[in-house]
Formats: sequence, C-alpha cells, structure tokens
Amino acid sequence: MEVKGEDEGSNYLIDLDSLVELFGILSQRYRVWAPKVKDGVIRYMPTSSFGELALGYRNIELPGYYELKKEEGYFTYTHPVNSLKELLHPPELPLMRVVKQSSELLFDYTMPNGERLCLFDVRACDLWALEVLDRVFIKNNPKPDPYYKSLRDNLFTVGVNCSYATSTCFCTTMGTGPEVRGGYDLLLTELKEGFLLQVGSEEGREVIGPLKKRRAEERHLQEKENIIKRTEGMMQKDFHRQEARERLYGRMDETYWEPVGKRCLACTNCTQVCPTCFCFDMVEKNGLSESYRVRAWDSCFSPSFATLHRFNLRQSIHSRYRQWLMHKFAYWVDQFGTYGCVGCGRCITWCPVGIDVRQEVRRIVQA
Amino acid sequence: MFKLENPYALRRGRVAKVIKETENIYTFYIETEEQARPGQYNMLYAFGMGEAPITIASMEGEYLVHTVRAVGDVTRHIDELKEGEILYYRGPYGNTWDIERAHKGELLIISGGLGLAATRWVFEQAKTHHIKRLIHIYGSKDYHSLLYRYLYEHWHSYSEFYITLERPDPRWNGRVGLVTDLLREIELKEDTVVFTCGPDPMVKACVSLLENKGIKVYNIYASLERHMKCSLGTCGHCMIGPYFVCKDGPIFRYDLIREYFERKEV
Ligand SMILES: Cc1cc2nc3c(=O)[nH]c(=O)nc-3n(C[C@H](O)[C@H](O)[C@H](O)COP(=O)(O)OP(=O)(O)OC[C@H]3O[C@@H](n4cnc5c(N)ncnc54)[C@H](O)[C@@H]3O)c2cc1C
Ligand code: SF4
Ligand code: FES
Repeated sequence: MEVKGEDEGSNYLIDLDSLVELFGILSQRYRVWAPKVKDGVIRYMPTSSFGELALGYRNIELPGYYELKKEEGYFTYTHPVNSLKELLHPPELPLMRVVKQSSELLFDYTMPNGERLCLFDVRACDLWALEVLDRVFIKNNPKPDPYYKSLRDNLFTVGVNCSYATSTCFCTTMGTGPEVRGGYDLLLTELKEGFLLQVGSEEGREVIGPLKKRRAEERHLQEKENIIKRTEGMMQKDFHRQEARERLYGRMDETYWEPVGKRCLACTNCTQVCPTCFCFDMVEKNGLSESYRVRAWDSCFSPSFATLHRFNLRQSIHSRYRQWLMHKFAYWVDQFGTYGCVGCGRCITWCPVGIDVRQEVRRIVQA
Repeated sequence: MFKLENPYALRRGRVAKVIKETENIYTFYIETEEQARPGQYNMLYAFGMGEAPITIASMEGEYLVHTVRAVGDVTRHIDELKEGEILYYRGPYGNTWDIERAHKGELLIISGGLGLAATRWVFEQAKTHHIKRLIHIYGSKDYHSLLYRYLYEHWHSYSEFYITLERPDPRWNGRVGLVTDLLREIELKEDTVVFTCGPDPMVKACVSLLENKGIKVYNIYASLERHMKCSLGTCGHCMIGPYFVCKDGPIFRYDLIREYFERKEV
C-alpha cells in the first residue's frame, strides 16, 4: 500500500485515560463510526462515547457460527461483522434525481455530503480492503467514481493491531495482516502497560497534539512485534496464494465446482458481508414526476445477474460460485493488481451452510 | 482533492430523423458534438426505466446514428421517440475495431441480426482504407428483419456484400441459409482479418469454420454483448473471465477470450 504510513519517531505510549480523551477529540472533529455490540454481534455503527465501544468482548467464529463472550482486556475481538464497504459503497446510494418538466428532463446529481468521518478501530484486513476498493473505484479506473471519492476523501482512520484471531481469520494466507502496515492516520496496539499509539499522517499528528502521552521505548515496539507474531501463530497458512491463482486458471471445468454448487444456496450472504465485493445494480425509484437513479448492491449469486435477453448466462449455482471464487482469487489480480480477498473470513462465518472458502480453494487446486 | 467529472451525467441530443427499419427496430439520427469511434457504444436513458447500452451504428456529420430494437423497458421507450424530441445519453464507451490490422490485406466482416449495427460504421470506413479485398456477410433471421435496406446498393458498390436469410420469403430471391453455409463457400486467404458481431452461437460457429479455413484466431475480432449496468467497470455485470466487456471490450481479439467465451456459463 502506498498510502499513509508510519513515520520515524512518532511512537507514543498512552494510558486508558488518554485513550478516552483521544476518542473525545475524535468525536469533536468527526462523525465517528466504531465497533459496538448490537443484537449479539459487533457492528460498525455511529458512536458518540467511549463507553459504547465493544471493548472487552471476544467474538468466536466458525463456519456458519458466531458467538460473543467477555474477555479480559480492551481490543480483544477481531473485526466487526459489517465492513467499511457499508460506508464507502453504501447498500443504496442515490446517484441522481431526475425530474420531468413538460417534455424536458432535469438532472440533479446528488453527491454524498462532505462530512468528515472517523473510522475508529479498523483492522489490517479491513484497511487493506479499502485499498482494494480504492483501486476498483478510483486508482485503477479510467473513469474514477466521484461518489466513492467524495466519501473516501473525508475518511480519517484509526487502525488497531489484532492481538487475537478467530478461527475464520486467514489474513496471513492473503498477505494482508494481522499487522497494520499502512493506510492509517493513527494506529493503536494494546500493550501490557497501556496503548502504543503510532502516527501515520499529518492529520493524525495534529489530532493527538493536545493528548497526554509519552515517547514509546524500544521494548514497547518489541512487545508489539511479539503480539503480532503471536496473532500470526493463531492462524494456519491455508494455501499459497500465487500458486493457487495460477492453478485456478486450469480449473475452470465444471467438475471442480459441482460439489460446492450442490451445497451453496446462492443466498448472496457472502457477497453482502464481503468488504470488497463491489457489484451493484442500477435501480430506478419512481414517483409521479420524478425518478431517482439508485446504485444498489447486487450479487453474482443472484439469478438475474448475468441476464442476456431474459436468459441468465449463469443458470447453475456452481457456475455462480465459480465466478465468485475465480474473481476473488484469480481474475481480480489481472484487473486491479491485488487479490479480491483480504482473508477476513466473513463469508465463512455468515454462510448459512458453512461453506469454507479456504477449504474450497484447497480442494479445487489440489484436485 | 480534485473535482472529478461525473461519469453518470447524461447529455441531451435532439432527434433529427427517425427511420423505421422493421416492426420493432428504429434508427435515430441524433444531433451531437460527441467524438466517437466505430465499435463504441452509448448508454441511452429512458425516464423511470433505466439505461441500455446501444452501439454507435454510425456517425454522419454531426449526427449520431443509433439503431434500437424494442425488446424491453428501456428500448421500447426509446423507440417511441419522435423527431424533435430529446434523447438523453452518456458515452461513448468501449474500444474500437482495429482496422489497421487489415491494412493492405483482406477484411472479412460477419454480422448476425442486429450485430450489423456494430459493424456498419467500420464497414463504411473500410471503404476509404487501403484494403485489398473487403467482404461482408450479413445473416438475418427473415425478410422482415433486414436492416438498412437503403444502404445495400452503396455497399455493393465498394465491397463483396452478401446477405443470407434463415427463412425463405416470396419477396426474396437471394440466398437462404445460415451465415455459416455462406461462409463455407467463400475462398479466403489465410491472413484475412475478421470482424464479427452477432449472437454468441453464430460467433462460435463462424470461428470454428474460419479456423478450418486456416485463418488465425488472433486475426479474428468479436464484439460481445453482455448484461451492462454501469459501463464503467464497477457494477460487475458484464464480466467474462477476467475481462469487463464494458471497458476492456466490447471488441475482443478472439484468442484472448476463447477460453471464457466458449465455455458454458462463464
Ligand atoms: C455493447 C452492446 C451494444 C448493444 N447495441 C445494441 C444496439 O445497437 N441496438 C439494440 O437494439 N440493442 C443493442 N444492445 C442490446 C441492448 O442493450 C438490450 O437489448 C437492452 O439493454 C435491453 O434493455 P431493455 O430494458 O429494453 O430490456 P428488458 O427486456 O426490459 O431487459 C430485461 C433485463 O435484462 C437486462 N438486459 C438484457 N440484455 C441486456 C444487455 N445486453 N445489456 C444490458 N442489460 C440487458 C436488462 O437490463 C433488464 O434487467 C447492445 C448491447 C450491448 C452490451
Ligand atoms: S453465503 Fe454460502 S450459501 Fe450463501 S451464496 Fe455464499 S457460499 Fe453460497
Ligand atoms: S457494465 Fe458495469 S462493470 Fe461492465
């Protein structure tokens, strides 16, 4: 990632009081979204006070399974169930309002408002997913998307290094985490003595100006390294991603995909929770004399997705699963220079029949 | 922070002329300042209905030519446009036919049905290009569906232009049969360059025939039709393998897409 990154001599140690104070500063400057417990899960939501944060919770995730427990400590969970896609590429985004006046049409292009937004507590996989979406909508697109960009330009991000990985996490396999290596304005790591606070941008430096803090020492940085190593150790290396990608191109035959096609319900859950699945539909919302053109999430699992002359090119579910997995682990690299998968494991947790994409990749490339 | 152009912004163009081609196909001449190239397409908008990708069939002076078959919500609405009314659209999008490839050589164009709209402009341009032999095969379902009847005479004047109808008709004394039947009979040099646009099965059948005639797959270019919603490479609908038909295409060198195009359900 070429975005904002760590800067020499910008490492501080802060205590809990300062962390609370930091959150206060952020809430004054920005509208803050942070992980909160809601309906038995941790979700990114608008958050106004430190007390609302999901601190001290632990998420236990398995294929088709999610549970919350209490845990000693603060940033004791992994990422929330919803992803940042919800903010940058909202489920429904009006692109324009069209008004009919006699025989003429008037177009009103409504850009999202330029409100400054702080994402507090973003993990490595989700920060990487922002880079992936940036490439799709702006960086690697000859016709950059102004709607996405106006939201993106107004983001301030506070990253957090994970000290725990749940069983569905596989960021090490995808090379995206657990260490946050860029793309943040501020970065936190929970240590024994307090919180390591690292600065990644000028704006970040400005924000923490008034904060009570002290310079971090070598041992604090060492402890961070150890925490990251320990978290890495909680995950297995599921497959070699470059090798898998090369082999997948030789696995287009349906025989490889039929087994998973029999289990998959084409419910689209995986594409909804995925932090990088970007596909959308254009929907017309009509009133009597006006019509809104709305960009609404769509899914390659939906039965009308690849309709040509009222006939869906991808009738079978296994062909839709193939499209999804091939896109994530192979095509995406050709298109945008990154994998479409960041290893967050959300699709594994929220698949109602517990399909584990890691196992599917392994099964298909090893067949 | 720089200001980006809104790629969804619609422009207006006055309909200057309408030609009825068939019962449900109309050709529109639209006043425009647009600069486009053969093979590209526009997204045409119908109020409350949405958009449809439509090939730029030609550019005549300051007129943009679009031929639209009314098959559904958007296209039915467009086909009701009258002279003097306004068409709202955005574009142009997509790539262009690589006519330089046929420089000083032979060019074969194969069009099926409405695919003729996508080859018409490059076929017109080929007239002024240095091309040794220009052949165009056009296959139509039946007599009713024939497009651009008013242009055939001109086309005959500068090319070998063949028409074949799938179904016989008392008013038709030309060829009857499939495009492939006609193609089979035509002698072609091995380095002939081929441009084609038509239904997927027609394209596949033609390619395999052309290969048997010794034509190189990398000299065959096909313009594809896929479901499109954005035309900007972000809605994902038009993907075929690693390609976005909307921005990497709609025209593809056949050897690059073969693996995905010929396989079922990709
Ligand atoms: C690059 C390209 C060039 C084309 N050029 C022409 C042309 O010159 N003249 C012409 O008449 N037609 C052309 N088409 C086909 C035309 O775009 C479709 O017939 C049209 O989109 C159908 O829209 P509708 O709302 O009228 O149909 P509906 O039947 O109401 O559509 C039904 C559903 O299928 C979808 N759908 C079906 N086919 C397509 C498609 N190809 N693209 C997008 N959505 C589709 C619609 O969006 C809708 O959701 C072209 C298509 C492409 C991809
Ligand atoms: S969540 Fe599972 S069942 Fe649903 S579409 Fe994805 S893989 Fe198929
Ligand atoms: S039409 Fe949307 S990605 Fe091609």
